Amino acid sequence: MSKKIGLAKKEARKGFSISSIYLIYAAIFWGYPFVWLFILLFSKWRFVGSPQFVGFRNITRVLTDPLFWKTVTNVFRFMMYYIPLVLIGALLFAIALNKIKFGKTFVALSFLVANVSSGVAYSIMFSNLFSVNGPINKALNSLFGITIPWFTSPQWAMFSIALIVIWKFIGYYGLILYAGLTAIPKSLYEAAELDGAGSLTKFFRITLPLLNPSIIMVLVLAITLAFGIFTEPYMITGGGPMRSTLTPMMHMITTAFQRMDPTYAATMAVFVAIISFGMIWVIRKTMEREVDLV
Amino acid sequence: MTNKKIQSGNVILHILMFFLSLIWLYPYAWLFLASVKPSAEIYTRFLPTRFTLEHFRFILESAERMNRPFIRAFFISLFVSVTVTVCVIITSAIISFALSKYRFKARDGIFNFIIFQMVFPGFMFTIPLYILMRNMHLLNSLAALIVPFIMSGWGIFMMTQSFRGTPNDYIEAAKMDGASDMFIIFRIMLPLNNSVMAIVGLFTFIGVWDNFMWPLIVIQDYYKMPLSVLLASFNHEYGAYIGPVMAGSVIQTLPMVLIFIIFRKAFLQGISMSLK
Repeated sequence: MSKKIGLAKKEARKGFSISSIYLIYAAIFWGYPFVWLFILLFSKWRFVGSPQFVGFRNITRVLTDPLFWKTVTNVFRFMMYYIPLVLIGALLFAIALNKIKFGKTFVALSFLVANVSSGVAYSIMFSNLFSVNGPINKALNSLFGITIPWFTSPQWAMFSIALIVIWKFIGYYGLILYAGLTAIPKSLYEAAELDGAGSLTKFFRITLPLLNPSIIMVLVLAITLAFGIFTEPYMITGGGPMRSTLTPMMHMITTAFQRMDPTYAATMAVFVAIISFGMIWVIRKTMEREVDLV
Repeated sequence: MTNKKIQSGNVILHILMFFLSLIWLYPYAWLFLASVKPSAEIYTRFLPTRFTLEHFRFILESAERMNRPFIRAFFISLFVSVTVTVCVIITSAIISFALSKYRFKARDGIFNFIIFQMVFPGFMFTIPLYILMRNMHLLNSLAALIVPFIMSGWGIFMMTQSFRGTPNDYIEAAKMDGASDMFIIFRIMLPLNNSVMAIVGLFTFIGVWDNFMWPLIVIQDYYKMPLSVLLASFNHEYGAYIGPVMAGSVIQTLPMVLIFIIFRKAFLQGISMSLK
């Protein structure tokens, strides 16, 4: 008996000491930055000397900074194009993938290989493909006689960035939805068919409701991506034209390392995080449904 | 009658999806062809009249004289990505083993803490983490690209979930034979859970290889830059050399595409698993 207790104690000590490797790591690379985040939030500091406490000045500055809110509006414009298009596209892709029998692997892989394109290289690739004299415009010109200022006009630039991010992520989201789709039992559809349900009824009454967790998952991923977007606008438009593609992350990096104002930049980052949390919370609260797949 | 209708609809769907797949592959095809055709044909022709490797020669040899050491950057990227990936797999395996197979009081607390951590978006910590690197005097060194990422809460989470499903009988049998904990972790647990190991490794590797914002901030020296930042700076200053820029883009993308094709099963599994 006493030996057993001794063993359990030994096991507990071992388990905790191994886990504390991670706790130490987290304390240094997560806890310490977290404490700094609070210091930055309430001080003025330009990387030299020690931070000076300024109360809520950074926070009121964010609230009244038109440029910061412009960048947030830009993210919302990005989401306005990106989320509906990528969600509907990924849904159609998932349904089609579920239906096709020949060349399924080829189709899945050609959509997914876009996802592993490296941010910098793919931005360079698309800035050339969509340049004013680029191949896309050449094709459009010879087919319809139009030339579109993809990345060079304030009206088009954010839409064009949304398009290329769709190229990258539609297969990824599509596969998440496909996994959800294959988990729906076939018997449900068969039962609905016996009751005389058409394919539209089946889609809106069975597929869409039972796919809810996967759709929420895709929405959360898309929102997180939108608020963190950096490489594409940095590489392709540099935030222009007329700041129409300036994103919070670009604004944060310039503020911190070119204007040497890390405290304000960190405050903006916290605001962006809060806004994205808020959006995700609202979506989960209003759209999330419990789904029981048996 | 209806059967025929369904079949023809299915044929159209197949053709449509095949066509769309080609459209999705088109940017890659264009990029690759642009890197091997003469400069004059990059914007004018899809298929080149002759193949040339001059752009690759330029980016790998001549660019060094412009302070853009691409071969070096390639190996830096490779070194950083491999090191981080190996570290993440090792640390995740050891810690996940403790979290899944040992009973101790703080266990659930630590696991929940890891889940809690994953909620916070990385960009919140960019600037404080930069300050940490600065205080550790690691700025402008490869350590700044490696040290903060040697452990991954996500990796531990994934492996713990998987390890929990491995029956304890294997471990007890090995203990009977006198196996050490390390032997059990690396010779029994990892091989039994090799698909989750592949997923954690693959996504870590791709994430580090592709990382751009962090190395852009912490590395200033051209001779310490990973490929992503060096390519961006080359494009920024010598963007007019379209051929070499395309060759550089191919060099940066190709390893990811090859890894994707080799490990496609683990990759597909990883995406589907992110649902749970």
